[in-house]
Amino acid sequence: MSIPAQACVTRLEEIVGGAYVLTHSAELGARHVDGTIPSAVVQPAEVAQIADILRFAAAETLAVIPCSGCTKLGIGAAPARYDIALDLSRMNRVLAYDPRDLTLGVEPGVRIEDLLRVLAEQHQFLPLTVPFADRATVGGIIAANSSSPLRHFYGGVRDFCLGMEFVTGEGAVSKAGGRVVKNVTGYDLHKVLIGSLGTLAVITRVNFRTFPLPPAQGTFVASFSDAESAFGFCRSVAQSVLTPQILEVADPAAADLLFSGAAPARITPQQWCVVITAAGQPAVVDRYARELGHIAGAANAAEFMPLSNAEQSSVLARVREFPRLVLEAVPAAAIFRLSVLPTAMTPLFAQLSEIAKRRNLVFAALTRASGIMYATFFAEEGREISASEIAAAAKEVFQLCAQPENNAQAMLEFCPADVKRAVGDVWGHARPDFALMKRVKNVFDPRNVLSPGRFAGGI
Amino acid sequence: MQPQLIRELIALLGPKAVLSQAEDLMLYEYDGSVELGSPECVVFPSNTREVAEIVRLANRYETPIVGRGAGTGLSGGAISRNGGIVIGFSRMNRILEVDAANLRAVVQPGVVNLDLSRAVEHLGLYYAPDPSSQRACTIGGNVSENSGGPHTLAYGVTSNHVTGMELVLPDGDIVRIGGKTIETPGYDLDGLLVGSEGTLALVTEITVRLTRKPEAVKTLLAVYDTLDDTTETVVDITVRAITPAACEMLDGFTLRAVEDYVHAGFPKDCAAVLLIELEGLTEAVEAQAAAITEVCQQHRAREVRVARDDRERELLWKGRKNAFGALGRLSPTYYVQDGVIPRTRLPETLRCIEEVSRKYDLRIGNIFHAGDGNLHPLILFDERDREQFKRVVAAGIEIMTFCVEVGGALTGEHGVGMEKNELMPLMFTPDDLALMERVRAAFNPVGLLNPGKLFPIGKACGEIRVRPMPVSATIPA
Repeated sequence: MSIPAQACVTRLEEIVGGAYVLTHSAELGARHVDGTIPSAVVQPAEVAQIADILRFAAAETLAVIPCSGCTKLGIGAAPARYDIALDLSRMNRVLAYDPRDLTLGVEPGVRIEDLLRVLAEQHQFLPLTVPFADRATVGGIIAANSSSPLRHFYGGVRDFCLGMEFVTGEGAVSKAGGRVVKNVTGYDLHKVLIGSLGTLAVITRVNFRTFPLPPAQGTFVASFSDAESAFGFCRSVAQSVLTPQILEVADPAAADLLFSGAAPARITPQQWCVVITAAGQPAVVDRYARELGHIAGAANAAEFMPLSNAEQSSVLARVREFPRLVLEAVPAAAIFRLSVLPTAMTPLFAQLSEIAKRRNLVFAALTRASGIMYATFFAEEGREISASEIAAAAKEVFQLCAQPENNAQAMLEFCPADVKRAVGDVWGHARPDFALMKRVKNVFDPRNVLSPGRFAGGI
Repeated sequence: MQPQLIRELIALLGPKAVLSQAEDLMLYEYDGSVELGSPECVVFPSNTREVAEIVRLANRYETPIVGRGAGTGLSGGAISRNGGIVIGFSRMNRILEVDAANLRAVVQPGVVNLDLSRAVEHLGLYYAPDPSSQRACTIGGNVSENSGGPHTLAYGVTSNHVTGMELVLPDGDIVRIGGKTIETPGYDLDGLLVGSEGTLALVTEITVRLTRKPEAVKTLLAVYDTLDDTTETVVDITVRAITPAACEMLDGFTLRAVEDYVHAGFPKDCAAVLLIELEGLTEAVEAQAAAITEVCQQHRAREVRVARDDRERELLWKGRKNAFGALGRLSPTYYVQDGVIPRTRLPETLRCIEEVSRKYDLRIGNIFHAGDGNLHPLILFDERDREQFKRVVAAGIEIMTFCVEVGGALTGEHGVGMEKNELMPLMFTPDDLALMERVRAAFNPVGLLNPGKLFPIGKACGEIRVRPMPVSATIPA
């Protein structure tokens, strides 16, 4: 920080008012990023205040990290600098909701759980059933591009986000996209903000299209004895006319984390479990039940069971919270998020297991059949393991994914700060498009004010 | 153009791949819009390396480049504003890979949209974005414009179907972005590039998602005696959260032209029709058909007809997809608008268009992707009548202004190009546009690629040039 901390606080107080600049150590500690704490937490209530804060930060070369629910601050590389936590939790209004038009505009600090409740009153929803659902906010979900099991049918954030308003690192208020369901006017700058981890701009409004809640929903669990049967079942579903909402594959270790204890007693966690949800008219859900049962049988399923409504809620909530469940069970776990093609899932799983086995680590994976695998590594219960050992495994994972035949992309999404330091770069091997990403960063945040160092390629 | 540049292009590509005679260049002066602009030469590379070499030459000679697919675009995106080189991608038209198991295809930019669907048909797959020009338009052009089509209501636009690209940057560098996988870590450069209208990079390879064909398809034709009943039906379908695969509206004026041209069986004495398509599992399609029929009847549809077989279905769609061409038979030229409105504002928007038609004394046909609020009012005119053309431009601006005022957008699928670039300030502030221009400069610093497009350049709209000769548009838009 180039100016004295007190001068910084004074200026921030001028912008947002004294009550909304926090400097207590507990408040600062709650917003630490990989052990680095800011000098101040500032809680703006409007866009103009954010613009003033960022202009001030740019002038004084201060580093700003936006936050709200603080559930995903550990994602990304450790920040190079960190002076101000820009807490957006006061910006939590639904700005526009036209249920008749199925469109919505919200501020970034809206908690997703609250938002889904507002939508449910109109029999609508957003396909953003994401981890840390009780605390996660819209801004953080977008900045981290959080993945939902519903991605299988509805796509990712980029597929239903219509536009955004945001403030650049220079404090310029800007917007891209629009508020209607179809629009190609101008560059889709809002798309690059999705998954940008607060390195390009501070999101101040997000426009979404909403979806009608289906009249009926049914969830099924098929269990299998091995990986190829489970992934093969998913490929068969993909080749059928069925288009389930959710299709998730848990290996026995992941199934154990998900279903031992809290989940329905009928699920046997020693097996590979595939969770499938179908939605639509009751007749449609009935058809899924029949045909999925047949496909599961043909894929040598040990069991195929429809869940009751209560079981469905519990199972889907636990699948949604998988990364969180892992971190609660093993805080030192390393959780990779892999982008992987369906045909590569079985061989990649085998090779990842092999890495774990060689290094005496436990491996558990939850795979979204559409192409995302949460691959987690952690020490067996009671065994201590050093950061360098986990980091060595991580490097192997990155190498494995970089092999052309695997055609996979990996990032180490959650891990302890000392593992991050030992790994070097949680974003994996340098890719050819990093240079273009740097150009984009220089446009949005030329003074490197926003979340410096947290992103891929050292951005 | 400097003769030496032409000689170097010929040395690079061979004489058959370089056009520079005035009579050859005339073919490349226009696209599907009312814009016009002449290149100084047109080149046809066969591979990425040649594209990169052309770009390097263009840099050396400080000559602008415009990429061009089939020239079916509707906003002047593939026309050169200031001479220079047009790169035609028609020789780069190979489907490089079909990966059916992973639902992906890798294609060169010159592959015709419908050709990809045909090539994967035997696998039970297709490429979902379906612009009405899909028999001619190319996937490279679709990527540039982020093209849509009737079925984008359910399946999304081009951007939702592209996972990776190979680019040639304006300095001649070749870069890959994205890939076959979804959600590649890093900034979503695919999202930025799709719809950037050829102003950031030239796209030389595209990885797209393929979609499995639905089990059942049902096409309904609902016939109305008033426009208000038609538009209220669309609002009600949206409000009841029924999502058809497509929901198209054609007004009576358009229908009569279409029926005379295509003989699809549209009633000629009605105010408007809705062409609604439902896709999915048989059970879902049946339930949706019943629900939609009920909504149509509640809004006094005179008739709700279900296409009996594929032939009848295809005929109805042929009518819709040739509607621009049909109206083109009534008038020397037409000017297609592409505004978007919130779907619930459809009735008042149509009344606004009627008012504009009366005020400016112009015939306007209405062909809408009604389900997603994407309007295509089509203004008929004779470009030899300069006074009339001024009224056409003014009417267009009035309609677009209304769309933006009710919370909509200037373009839903045709792009901004050199048609709506001066209207951008209706939707975006100077700060919004400045940031976009800086993004352009980050990729395309000296404005080598597609200059004079997308951003306002301070030219009054009344100066939009018109074609020198009448055109009867046969390629549907």
